[in-house]
Amino acid sequence: MDLFLKYVSQPYLVTGIVYTLLITVLGLAGGTVMGTVLAGMQLSRFRALALLARAYAIIFRGTPLILQMIFCYNALPMIGIKLTAIEAAGLALALNEAPFIAEIIRANIIGVDRGQVAAGQALGMTPAAIMLRVVAPQAIRSMVPALGNEAVSALKNSSLASVVSVQELTLRSTQLASATFDFFSIFFASGLMYLVLTGAIAVIQIVIEVLLDLDGPSPQARLARLLPWKRLPVELPAGPSAAAPEAVTTTTEATSPAPLQPASARAARAPDRRRRAATLANNGLALEINDLGKSYNGRPVLKALNLDVRLGEVVALLGPSGSGKSTLLRCINRLEFWESGTIRVTGRAIDRDETGRALSPRGIAHARAAVGVGMVFQNFNLFGHLTARENVAGPLRWVQGLSRLDADQRAMELLTRVGLAHRADALPRHMSGGQQQRVAIARALAPNPAILLLDEPTSALDPELVSEVLEVIRRLAVEDGLTMLISTHQISFARDVADWAIFLADGAIVEEGPAEEILTRPQNPRTAQFLQIVAEEEAAG
Amino acid sequence: MNRTGSGCSRLLRKAWLGMMVTGQLAVATVVFSAALPVTPAKAAAPEACAALQAKYPALKGKTLVNAVNPHTPGYEALDPNDPSKYIGFDIDLGEAIGDCLGFSLTYKPVTFAALLTTLEAGQADIVISDIYATKDRAKAADFVTYLKVFDGVLVAKGNPKKITGINTSMCGAVAAENTGYVEVPLIQALEADCKAAGKPAPEIQLYDNNANCIQAILSGRADTYINDANTVDGAVKAYPDKLEKATAVTLPYSVGIAVPRGKTDFRDAVMAALSEIQKSGMQAELMKKWNLPEDQIEAPKLVLAD
Repeated sequence: MDLFLKYVSQPYLVTGIVYTLLITVLGLAGGTVMGTVLAGMQLSRFRALALLARAYAIIFRGTPLILQMIFCYNALPMIGIKLTAIEAAGLALALNEAPFIAEIIRANIIGVDRGQVAAGQALGMTPAAIMLRVVAPQAIRSMVPALGNEAVSALKNSSLASVVSVQELTLRSTQLASATFDFFSIFFASGLMYLVLTGAIAVIQIVIEVLLDLDGPSPQARLARLLPWKRLPVELPAGPSAAAPEAVTTTTEATSPAPLQPASARAARAPDRRRRAATLANNGLALEINDLGKSYNGRPVLKALNLDVRLGEVVALLGPSGSGKSTLLRCINRLEFWESGTIRVTGRAIDRDETGRALSPRGIAHARAAVGVGMVFQNFNLFGHLTARENVAGPLRWVQGLSRLDADQRAMELLTRVGLAHRADALPRHMSGGQQQRVAIARALAPNPAILLLDEPTSALDPELVSEVLEVIRRLAVEDGLTMLISTHQISFARDVADWAIFLADGAIVEEGPAEEILTRPQNPRTAQFLQIVAEEEAAG
Repeated sequence: MNRTGSGCSRLLRKAWLGMMVTGQLAVATVVFSAALPVTPAKAAAPEACAALQAKYPALKGKTLVNAVNPHTPGYEALDPNDPSKYIGFDIDLGEAIGDCLGFSLTYKPVTFAALLTTLEAGQADIVISDIYATKDRAKAADFVTYLKVFDGVLVAKGNPKKITGINTSMCGAVAAENTGYVEVPLIQALEADCKAAGKPAPEIQLYDNNANCIQAILSGRADTYINDANTVDGAVKAYPDKLEKATAVTLPYSVGIAVPRGKTDFRDAVMAALSEIQKSGMQAELMKKWNLPEDQIEAPKLVLAD
């Protein structure tokens, strides 16, 4: 025991820790930089880069670190690169860590919900902005545990630097053991030192996880969670968002009526269909689709489709699953590519510039923002790490360049309109589906789009939440005169709100006409059959 | 007695002894780490060294890297009292050569098998680390010899396997050796004799330093460790209740200083300095200091590849 205490406190061994940490930090820092580059290459659109990154991973993940250390130390001098022992060991560890860190980064980037990426695209965010604002913040949160693991493993792997004469903890321990024959005391002492170091990494990891935890009520309270003796005096701020997450999900207003503002006189009045149709006929075109054709792996999903939507018009898109409704909507704001035909929104193409040249993903993003196509998705696709307010205000700052103040003001206006001002600070995961979809609508409306595309906005909702969302959409049509193209299975809603209805089957328009007409007296047998099935389902439900 | 070159006068010897006391005190007080160059007392160099420094001016003031496998107490190991220092006969000899030629040394600790590769890669300038100069190893480095080789056979107390040397008494036994040691092929070569005698061949466990080989016997994983007699004696001294030296073995090799191939000026300078150190009686004194038997001393000779 005396010997153990002697070695635990011996300056020679303790200073070995400095070298151990130095190699670890070099390895992790270099590995993170290289890993980020490798992950970027693997995720890139360019196949050659991805192959190169894959080849690197095969070599450096597939050979032992000890060989890489010896290679960097003894083989590099033969081609004129003579590194010091510490540099060589640091380089080898970085080369070795890079593919592992790259896979952690890649897995967590892929793990971020694809729908959120689509939502970012639909809002006109550039690929870089989506990566920076949407993907990275969520990926980084979820990769902390894996990176903590990797840091511990790098620290232990640094002991292999002893083979290239770096005076780190392991080398110092073995030399000391040889000189004194006190093997066990020395190895226990250095083992304890390694435990203290890896323990420190674990503590750092916990601190980072707590600080990044979105469910933490406030930065102060998050810190307090790390200091148990300070936990008691911290008061939780008032408001539903401050309650524990479990409590929030159960106390959401899902069961209580949504506090929508009372409808305006105009919205409450039944629409005069004939007059409305006459006005619309004089309006300019919001959307022109000509001969649109698209196929997946040679199977056609859209066949020479033609469609015009006038400004202020509400068009209901009906049809069975797989009929091409979603694909059509996604084509309109270029979330999908198509093979033939043209799509113009307020006279402009999103996929090409004036000279007819295909746009880059970045160029498409700018075109989307300039033209103004809003999109509401079946699965809401709110940015999971942002509050309701930020989901609306964020894109306004990033795409439209609004100031924080203006963006927040606009967000609160819209959240008030959809009846969710009181949930402005709530995270999506603490809101009911209906609330999330209303926030998503507010987000899509924020930049004043020329046309709003709604892709089955109520299909993912529990039946009791459908009406609150439909009511919001109905008011947009009536109060704002917003141009909307909406795919839905809600026949009565479509009959009530839409001016025009289109029945789509197998990628082609089977029947179209005034909504009331088609939905009450369909001419095509397929339309009739579809309407009957949906009506039966509604009755059964 | 194989002492050669004892041409020093009694007077010089007496003066040297006096200097040794001061020199040792100086060495004991100078704290040096592996990362810092060492500047030993100039007083230790024999007079003839002045002429050598004039003849090889390129080495003067240089700091060279000495690769060592510091797991061999008596030759090279950490100083248990001040682990920032390496001590041992080889360390003192290297310092003496450096003093004589006017260069200082820093140390690079590597595994035994990496001694010569480190030298070849240019990560070290010289290797003075109880390495036997064989024709095979001379393919990787030029050697200047300074000691004869005496091996000892380290066994567990009581020599339960009755091992009597590198012979058929080792059939079926487990020998611990370091990777790259000359004893390895000698033990492997016993296979044919063992087979002829109807016994199993000896088994070899490879480690990368003396300490691990000694541990292998202490933990019962190996039956014997055959290595430099002084290392074996040191191990027996450390574990008198558990280990013993079964016997001594003479091997037809010498211990040598390895220098990079082709650097003949440096090699000649080291050899000349070593001769002077032997002539002045300094090597004998150092051997006495580290309890090496005096009859191990050997006049410097070159071992080069064919």
